[in-house]
Amino acid sequence: MQMVTVQWFVKCGLTTAVLLLACGFATARFGHGLQMPSTTTRDGSLITLNRYAKEPIPDVVLVGSSLTFRLKEEYFATTKLRNLALAGGSPVTGLEIVANQPRLPKIVLVETNVLSRATDNVLVEKYSWRGNAEPLFFRPVRTVVASYENWLHAPVTHAQAFSAHARLLKQPPSDFDNHVYVDRAVQQSNTEDPTVATQINVQRIEQLILALEQRGARVLLFQLPLSKELENARSIKIARDIVHARFPESDRWLTINVSRSELRWADGVHLDERSAFIVVQSIDRAVSLLL
Amino acid sequence: MLHSTSSQKRDGMTFTSWQFGIFVAVVFGLYYLPAFRALQVQLLVVASLFFYGYGQPELLPLLAVAVFGTYLFVVLALRNRSIWLPMGIAFNLALLAFFKYKFLFVDTTSPALVGESPIDFLLSLPLPIGISFFVFHNISLLVDLTKQKDAPSLASVFLYIIFFPQLVSGPITRAGLFIPQIGPKFLADVQYVDAAKWILTGYFFKLYVANNLNEMTSYMSFPLYETLQTQDRWLLVFLYSYQIYADFFGYSAIAIGLAVLFGYRLTINFDLPYISKSFSEFWTRWHISLSSWLRTYLYIPLGGNQKGITRTYLNLMIVMGLGGLWHGAGLSYLMWGVLHGFLLVIERPLLGRLQSIDSTVVRTAQMCFVFLCVTVLWIFFKLPHFDHAIGYLTGMFVPSTSPNPPKLFYNLALLYSLPVIIQHFAPRALFERRLRGAEPFLYGAMAALMYLEAGPETAFIYFQF
Repeated sequence: MQMVTVQWFVKCGLTTAVLLLACGFATARFGHGLQMPSTTTRDGSLITLNRYAKEPIPDVVLVGSSLTFRLKEEYFATTKLRNLALAGGSPVTGLEIVANQPRLPKIVLVETNVLSRATDNVLVEKYSWRGNAEPLFFRPVRTVVASYENWLHAPVTHAQAFSAHARLLKQPPSDFDNHVYVDRAVQQSNTEDPTVATQINVQRIEQLILALEQRGARVLLFQLPLSKELENARSIKIARDIVHARFPESDRWLTINVSRSELRWADGVHLDERSAFIVVQSIDRAVSLLL
Repeated sequence: MLHSTSSQKRDGMTFTSWQFGIFVAVVFGLYYLPAFRALQVQLLVVASLFFYGYGQPELLPLLAVAVFGTYLFVVLALRNRSIWLPMGIAFNLALLAFFKYKFLFVDTTSPALVGESPIDFLLSLPLPIGISFFVFHNISLLVDLTKQKDAPSLASVFLYIIFFPQLVSGPITRAGLFIPQIGPKFLADVQYVDAAKWILTGYFFKLYVANNLNEMTSYMSFPLYETLQTQDRWLLVFLYSYQIYADFFGYSAIAIGLAVLFGYRLTINFDLPYISKSFSEFWTRWHISLSSWLRTYLYIPLGGNQKGITRTYLNLMIVMGLGGLWHGAGLSYLMWGVLHGFLLVIERPLLGRLQSIDSTVVRTAQMCFVFLCVTVLWIFFKLPHFDHAIGYLTGMFVPSTSPNPPKLFYNLALLYSLPVIIQHFAPRALFERRLRGAEPFLYGAMAALMYLEAGPETAFIYFQF
């Protein structure tokens, strides 16, 4: 190999090494405190999982699917609460992660509307031991963008966010016509048969509940209200029947008491912001009695 | 909506896996050992078979059938070209048609297909990775080599067809360009810097640009795109345009760099396609090896532009339509090809007049128009389900009614697209002269950035073809 070639590779390698060292040093010095921008809903879930992995264990944890993902943490009056619901994911993934931590929250709330998805083993592996989730290097471009975004939109306090959302209740429910989305969701639900996957997931949930309760946590199941049409759709009914047959005891369930006429599902499936806030208030009331 | 996003992944070894890194290192080490000098071609053939069969060994017999079958037709065509050359081409096209288009007629997941177990086995096989590429290699081999007197060795034929850097997604190097390169290779002749530059550039475009943009463009999938605001639909189409370029250019660059390590030169596949000022120019800059192949083996044999204006237009439409279908058995791919053919036909009588106008403004407008059309047509690639593509396209021209649109970070989109923009628009002289001394530092920075800022792993887009 010619000397010119060697010099080229030395310069290239040194540049790489210097940049990696600088980034590693910056990561060690400034930590991972900055909230990275989420470019997908999955990113949003990972932000919460990252926080769960490194912050003190909260009193209450919610696990679920994209339905529960819409119940933002800032809607809750309960401050020591984390929502580990995964958009596009299974409640079992969150429950596995919680169960694999050395310390547990006092209450774990498990959404059981969507139980047809497989556990995300990659996420379970990544977040199952506290402290292991942090990478050696942060992502420089995302960090720069995150800094800029945080500077541009300074994060509001929990009290500010809560009062802003409380103002939503003074507005009437949305009159957005969602029938196209509801029809599609019902059609999709009627073509799926979630029996096998739901049975597997329900069995795993039962095992995890046993393990968690032996370690002192209390686990409650809940079902988020869906639009009437979707409640009666095939796969939703099958999943509901399976989970209620396995967990018939009423004290296993967290009851959500809300006026259905106040709720809206703008995209046919997920609660809109105002409705999510109403549901959260009901959960807050129930949880405050248990803490 | 109640759905999860998924990324397509090849079961076997991908260029971005650590297994592939070890594989290349081992093969490279053995390849230049004096003991293997006489067996270099055979070693590369065995390595390529291992690469192809890794994770999907059931597809190796198909590859063997394609290579042995093609070799047999080459030998026979050397005796009687007029009979055996068309037979050989038909054999390869039949392979392609069976494996690529059977999905149009048969539900391959059905437990009982036709009831005949050997046919059921064939019908249930997945789409062989790279079949579109190695079938085109085979046809090139049949056409180019049967013009000669002597048949090449079986090992040479094998290497040409299955050389692992180009096996899965090209570049489609013509037999006449590749086979003459086969011969003893020496470690002292390896152009390390050249190889490193190609490989680093390729990985940087794939890991930093394409994989990160893929996260954003996942919102283009049905039904997620219905939640997008109108302006974001436009933005994502442009991001996908950058993504597909970065993804495929990245793959091609890695393939070229790897080939350099083993002493071979593959065809350059991209030449800054998004600065094209006409659609015909675009096809001399985008997937050059495919457009050259189509021109040589389809457009010219059809008569090219030598049989009158109407026939020229018809030939363009046929070539582009078949080019679209080559990518996949679907109406979206056909539409993509036909629309490109239509654009080529429309511009053909205007080209001379436009080229005669010496104005920067006109040239810039042409460039923008071509880029816009090419970009919008990528929707048919991103959404192979035709109704979904039309739904997305329609939504770009009507106000969004989505009650809860996702937030896209425009600054992040710009930062991830920047390498493509810089590559296309930065003056070449800047890099070739003024920044030449900074070149190793630039590549070093790219290496660091592609490691630090790599997006979530996704398969190369062209693996599905």
